[in-house]
Amino acid sequence: MKTDFTFDETDRLIVAELRKNGRATNQQIAERLGLTATTVSSRIRRMEDANQLRVVAVSDFAAHGYDVLMQLAIEVDSRPASEVAHELAQFPEVFAVHIVTGRYDIDALVVLHDFEDLSHFMLDRLGSIRGIRKIAPSIAVDIMRYQFDVAPIEARA
Amino acid sequence: MANIQLDDLDRQLIDLLARDARVSNRKIATELGVTEGTVRGRIKRLQQDKLITFTAITGLQMASKSRLAFIWVQADVERTREVARLIADMDPVNAVMITMGSFNIMAMCLFDELDDLVEVASDRILAVPGVHHVETSIAVKTVKYNARVAKITESSPLDSDGD
Repeated sequence: MKTDFTFDETDRLIVAELRKNGRATNQQIAERLGLTATTVSSRIRRMEDANQLRVVAVSDFAAHGYDVLMQLAIEVDSRPASEVAHELAQFPEVFAVHIVTGRYDIDALVVLHDFEDLSHFMLDRLGSIRGIRKIAPSIAVDIMRYQFDVAPIEARA
Repeated sequence: MANIQLDDLDRQLIDLLARDARVSNRKIATELGVTEGTVRGRIKRLQQDKLITFTAITGLQMASKSRLAFIWVQADVERTREVARLIADMDPVNAVMITMGSFNIMAMCLFDELDDLVEVASDRILAVPGVHHVETSIAVKTVKYNARVAKITESSPLDSDGD
């Protein structure tokens, strides 16, 4: 959903400050950048209203009791991949779904509390979707880096 | 995995801050019916335990690099950690997981030009000693993505809350 929103240098500087500390006050950001707190506040609001910025708390998987992370590469057969992807996206255990190029059609990030949840996910969730021909799972055993601060932003309800 | 004990108040705080991290402690305190001091203390503890971090997420339009690619790597098993560490230190790489499956390392990176992806995957990662095979796939459409829950690692933004 592209709009004609444009960012200038001041916007970028404000975002850089917010990336360092999302809870810095408008006043603190203003002082650091030589702006007024009103400018900082209205710039942030403008970017938020255009759905181009969210300043949020990101919580660790562990804070939600999720101990099992895996990436599923999925091969689809006799069905549009996007239909399968949308059905996958309905499941709460599925945190990300991408349609991809390459050997497989869909890549999904699945997060579970423990391995006991796996049979339910496999049989009741994935088993309910038509058109999945093959699943190649990769279980995350360690995460060395995980840094995403660019993402599709949904409009606020 | 550490034994993490979060109570209802922690969870309510996380939910509130996941929607908008810029609400004041005072407003949170009023909403949750606790004191400002409690809010401040809880936030500090969650940050220290690396359970939450505050950051700015920008839309794809603002990003200079907006395409996501998965780079799947087969490396010598005995060198997995060392190779993964080297890949994680490469600048364009956003995420690195050690995995058990057909590949033992998965890296994700954001890129703009196909040339940049080829450079990371086929020139840099493939040249790391111990790496045997690299496969890339490009996300052409993202159907779902939750940026609010992630793995907080050493390189995540650390807050020094001024107040």
